Amino acid sequence: MKKRKVITRRDFLRGTVYTALGTSLGVGTSFNKSEALAEEKVKVVLIRNEEVIDRQGQIRQEVVQQMLDQGVATLLDEKDPVETWKKLLKPTDIVGIKSNSWHTLPTPKELEEAITRRILDAGVPKEKMSIDDRGILNNRVFRDATALINVRPLRTHHWSGVGGCIKNYIMFVSTPWLYHSDSCSPLATIWNKPLVKGKTRLNILSLIRTQFYGRGPHSFDRRFISDYRGLLIGKDPVALDAIGARLLQLQRIAHFGEDRSLDTTPKHVFMADQKYKLGVSDVNRIEVIKVGWMEGSLI
Amino acid sequence: MQECYFKRTISYKPNLWVIVFSLLTCLAEMMMGGSLAFPAEKGKIEMEMKKLLPLEVGGYRSDGKDQLYDRLTTFRYMDGAAELYRSYGFKQLRVRRYLKENQPPILVELFDMGSSEDAYGVFSFETEGEEAGIGQGSDIGGGLLRFWKGRFFVHVYAEQETASAMEVISELGKAIARFIQQEGQKPALLSLLPREGLIERSIRYLYHPHHLNDHYFVSHENILNIGPQTKAVLATYLSPPARDKTFLFLTQYSTPGQSKKAYQSFVKTYLPESPSSGIAQTENRKWTAARSDQRYVIIVFDAPSGEKAEGMIQATQKGLKEKRR
Repeated sequence: MKKRKVITRRDFLRGTVYTALGTSLGVGTSFNKSEALAEEKVKVVLIRNEEVIDRQGQIRQEVVQQMLDQGVATLLDEKDPVETWKKLLKPTDIVGIKSNSWHTLPTPKELEEAITRRILDAGVPKEKMSIDDRGILNNRVFRDATALINVRPLRTHHWSGVGGCIKNYIMFVSTPWLYHSDSCSPLATIWNKPLVKGKTRLNILSLIRTQFYGRGPHSFDRRFISDYRGLLIGKDPVALDAIGARLLQLQRIAHFGEDRSLDTTPKHVFMADQKYKLGVSDVNRIEVIKVGWMEGSLI
Repeated sequence: MQECYFKRTISYKPNLWVIVFSLLTCLAEMMMGGSLAFPAEKGKIEMEMKKLLPLEVGGYRSDGKDQLYDRLTTFRYMDGAAELYRSYGFKQLRVRRYLKENQPPILVELFDMGSSEDAYGVFSFETEGEEAGIGQGSDIGGGLLRFWKGRFFVHVYAEQETASAMEVISELGKAIARFIQQEGQKPALLSLLPREGLIERSIRYLYHPHHLNDHYFVSHENILNIGPQTKAVLATYLSPPARDKTFLFLTQYSTPGQSKKAYQSFVKTYLPESPSSGIAQTENRKWTAARSDQRYVIIVFDAPSGEKAEGMIQATQKGLKEKRR
């Protein structure tokens, strides 16, 4: 059996850590870029609008709706927002919107409302849909769901490096702490559970406000909140998280003038790709379609 | 035994394995920290904590909807952030929201950490702000006040940072600190740290390897076998004349055998070129030295010279010797 490489601080000092980390993650060191480029790219849509936050710092509902509509339509090569959502959902679907209620930086309610509106437009009855986070295991709609919409804000996270789409499903298990080991690397396994598997129709990372840095588990710090005014939309949660992790890194570089490291490497994003095959984490294989205002987009 | 989180969430579909697993997990929780309170004890703690929070401060009133969480249910409130508190002896959390018209709400989180050592430990995790003179140690910055007193750790913050909210945060903190009547001791391990050059607010008291890495990354693996049965302290020192930072990490194990095993694991992985002396110059041209002394392992990282590293280890050993007298 191959002996597992233990990475220490000295690997960082030698500058060999990326080789070491790559080996430990099972990523080949003789990675062939042209081979990767030959494969099909995963599409994600970055849409931004300067007007989404007003001068009082409030999020504008009508702008969020426009952004969502335009973003989802671009992703699915459609024009009409209602027709777009009809491509995602059937009127017979039971739809759970897995949101995020972390009280200091929750999914904006304006975004939840915009999604709700389009799900209703797609013909899903109100009683067959629900928005929830921490109560999903006790929520009948989520237990019976045939379709899930995954939506949450992008932020750094003490135990997983990045709190994104993959991590947002941790509430689908009753023992979340069992997924916190090894930088939360097993998180993607949750996506294979019967309550979840194959049901996610759309992933949305809210970049309206992002938290790009934080220390410690409580980790909310207004100094490191950015009004990025965007949404990242796609079908592949791993691709969204990979782009999200990259964005947070670029925001840290822009803010601190250096790549200040996180409490934890977002290893679970790479593991979701390399080990659990949930999606694509290699940014060379992700096509970011940019829509709207792109000043200071960093990506 | 207290009601388990699992019973509530999965009760719609009884399953023998789930019940067995739930019971085992609850049992493991009790064995690890002994921190799942029995109902009578839990009720007593709840009442005591309720009395520690004022109903009104600076025109802000409690919304009357306190939330209570224990070691298992606290994930519902703060998700993975709960791991920090759980790695210490956390027993209960009471969350109270204060409201005032046209003002941002203020949130208080009062944690019963089970002991003053653990209240200090969780407080020591993050001391990047300024001392506010509240409780037995405090930290204020970024719209957030953190302090500890006795076996309690308290977190107060406004949902928006305004000058008036900051005043109320401070006032609330002082009121809570007054209500907590009993002070507590810091962990005894801290008294073993050499004093010369020590940055007092850099001291971190911990039980989890992840928390060591938060402040000084050592390894992705737990090469020092740190866990619930060990006590550890990390401290930063300024070394003259360049005032470079040197780190001292002291761990107390249950037995000398465990200490020796951890020392050997560390030296084998981190200082493989010096298996017998346990001291080496690392790639940043600084020095790391390690030693096992009965139940303790002492490690000095980033010393400016081998002599300085050795001197800090000997100073710590001197403290250990005096303690044993």
